[in-house]
Amino acid sequence: MGEKDLRSIIEQVLSEMSVSAAPGAQNVAAAAAAAAPAVNAGGGLKIASKNLELDAPVIENGEFGDITQIDIRTQYLVENPENKEAYADLKYKAPCRLAIGKAGARYRTLPQLEFRAAHSAAQDAVFNDVDEEFVKNQGLFIVQTQCDSKDTYLTRPDLGRKLSEEARETILKNCKKNPTVQIYVADGLSSAAVAANIGDLLPAITQGLQSYGIDVGTPFFVKYGRVAVEDEISELLNATVVCTLIGERPGLITATSMSAYIAYKATVGMPEARRTVFSNIHSAGTVPAEAGAHIAEIIKIMLEKKVSGTDLKL
Amino acid sequence: MHEVISSVGIDIGTSTTQLVFSRLTIENPAGSYRIPKITIVEKQVIYRSKIYFTPLISATEIDAEGVKRIVRSEYAAAGMKPGDLQTGAVIITGDTARKKNANEVLSALSDLAGDFVVATAGPSLESVLAARGAGTDKLSLDNKTVIANIDIGGGTSNIAVYQRGDLRGTSCLDIGGRLIKVENGSLTYVFPKIQALAAEHGIRISVGDRADRGILYKVAELMAAELAASLHLCPITESHKKLYTNDGTPIPEEPKIIGITYSGGVADCVYGSDIQDPFRYGDIGVLLGQAIRENKLLSSLTLYKAAETIRATVVGAGAHATDISGSTICYDRSLLPIKNIPVLKIPAEDEKTLESFKDSILRQLPIFYTEGQLEQIAIAFDGHERSSFKAVQELADAIIEGAKEVIESRYPLIIVVEHDIAKVLGNALNFKMGNKKPVICIDGIPTASGDYIDIGEPVAGGQVLPVVNKTLVFNT
Repeated sequence: MGEKDLRSIIEQVLSEMSVSAAPGAQNVAAAAAAAAPAVNAGGGLKIASKNLELDAPVIENGEFGDITQIDIRTQYLVENPENKEAYADLKYKAPCRLAIGKAGARYRTLPQLEFRAAHSAAQDAVFNDVDEEFVKNQGLFIVQTQCDSKDTYLTRPDLGRKLSEEARETILKNCKKNPTVQIYVADGLSSAAVAANIGDLLPAITQGLQSYGIDVGTPFFVKYGRVAVEDEISELLNATVVCTLIGERPGLITATSMSAYIAYKATVGMPEARRTVFSNIHSAGTVPAEAGAHIAEIIKIMLEKKVSGTDLKL
Repeated sequence: MHEVISSVGIDIGTSTTQLVFSRLTIENPAGSYRIPKITIVEKQVIYRSKIYFTPLISATEIDAEGVKRIVRSEYAAAGMKPGDLQTGAVIITGDTARKKNANEVLSALSDLAGDFVVATAGPSLESVLAARGAGTDKLSLDNKTVIANIDIGGGTSNIAVYQRGDLRGTSCLDIGGRLIKVENGSLTYVFPKIQALAAEHGIRISVGDRADRGILYKVAELMAAELAASLHLCPITESHKKLYTNDGTPIPEEPKIIGITYSGGVADCVYGSDIQDPFRYGDIGVLLGQAIRENKLLSSLTLYKAAETIRATVVGAGAHATDISGSTICYDRSLLPIKNIPVLKIPAEDEKTLESFKDSILRQLPIFYTEGQLEQIAIAFDGHERSSFKAVQELADAIIEGAKEVIESRYPLIIVVEHDIAKVLGNALNFKMGNKKPVICIDGIPTASGDYIDIGEPVAGGQVLPVVNKTLVFNT
């Protein structure tokens, strides 16, 4: 988030809070600091058992720093707590917006800004495209579904499940036919997830499969892709197992979570129950490299048992 | 997923021998769309044996056959067969002198206790198992505080301190109920250190003296005062330091102890079951219990009720000795179970660079030679900063270079990491070594230098391995 955006948000928040006593618009940031004096007072708290410093918000030159860098698990803003250490210990276990204090009946300025920043990151993850340079650096070529824009993609889910004619040709031209396992990456609802995880996830799956001696097809990237496009890809290349690594719909905790949808002999129109899914792959969930190693083993089991989805008992 | 595994705990102590069977319930609370995270969700003791005096041949030797008879009859009483059990621990605790023929005892039990036995326990492990059996770890977590458990047995007092569920320190002192024995109104045994402690305070006692309740209560008060000192409730004197077993040291001064639990045979006397005859058990256990209860400093701590008292250690061994590995791991089933593996721990500062990581392995390998041969070892580290695919590949290369000697030996390559990277690391090792070397790579197990571990046969459909970590290094 840029400095300008931040300023405009603070201005908006202040006008909503009707801080009539604020000393003029030219000193908005200072007013923001004044409106949240207690934020500054908490001081760092050491959690002895975890060896962590709890973040106390620092205000320099009348501005918060990069609020997206705050780890909310270590953020503690309650004034005069009964047992700060115990609450902070509890809070460290999950990234929930707890113990963020209040100003009257409302959020304080900082948590309010953080909330909006997280919401913006989620929106960005959906609306931005994956950087094509990044995809190419991962050794992936790019194809597109029948969606011609983000708008079409979001409003026409059916088109996100079908490859464009050009995509079918490119895939047939570039990919190994009849692979045992076909893996590909799709943006889904989070481009940020692709950028954050693919560098670790994809090679970990591939290495795992190689060490089991399982043949892997040519990977690629599908733009504007939904999960079920894997069925068409599986049929097109005659893959035994197809695996898509796709960005999950982002939330306010993370915008970079990824899922793997894996199916044995997928066909267009097959029931959804035939997909095996692993979700919550991101740096604060299952780390992508370890998740990749696990997915490789699941694919191995799938090939042995010749089923996927709810029929596959793990 | 819901699976129940059965576990046995056998504690052969200085004065008593006991056995429990427990059920450990393991589940995967992560849900079906997540990578599994299998954990032990419930521990239930399903059978408690009678409490036997440990059969002895002499003052320093345990009667192995006698122990075997006890264990066999208790298996029969519980309707248990060795084949019903997946994990467990047999520990020989207390007075080290009694451990002289420990191996003989364990081999006598081997057909009953199966493949998962733990050998003799260091005092640190005893302290930890007793505290877990007493529920001290859970009490400290539930009450968000610092609680010490003192397990007062016949020969020793084992102390473990927990802060909000985490172990903070252990120690072991020569303070126990049977360090003075009484028969027919006179003293039949006085432990030299206790004799010296009494003498220091002007009380002379020796074998053959008439058992005077008043005098022996004074001695018990002195012993209780030493326990108070061992928790840093008063300053530690030079002579106090002599009371630690094996030249051990006190628990750390921080964190400050707020609450206390008592376990072991003497604990019931502390919690207040008043016994008229002070020498009912032929020792000063009853008096010691009373003296601890009356001690001003110890009473200043919040007293919590222990979940187990005299059975705390055996319940600890039966229900709390087994951990399970992380759920994404890499292993060769034909190699399991493996017992008594010493741990080569790469310290955090050596983990910083790959070069120092490698050097750390090379530097420590010579410690694990017996008669010119490298013995079977497990290489352990934290792995926290190395979870990207690239970092794991580099780590695998460093292990392959540093542990070349292990790889060339007849033993498998065993890696124990704390952070959740075992499967990808195991794959990388297998891939880089062309699947030519058997590899066991597990995570979720914290270790320290000097530990020994047992790795059991897989449970939960092969997803996790039971692990017993046998020596937790604090003050051993």
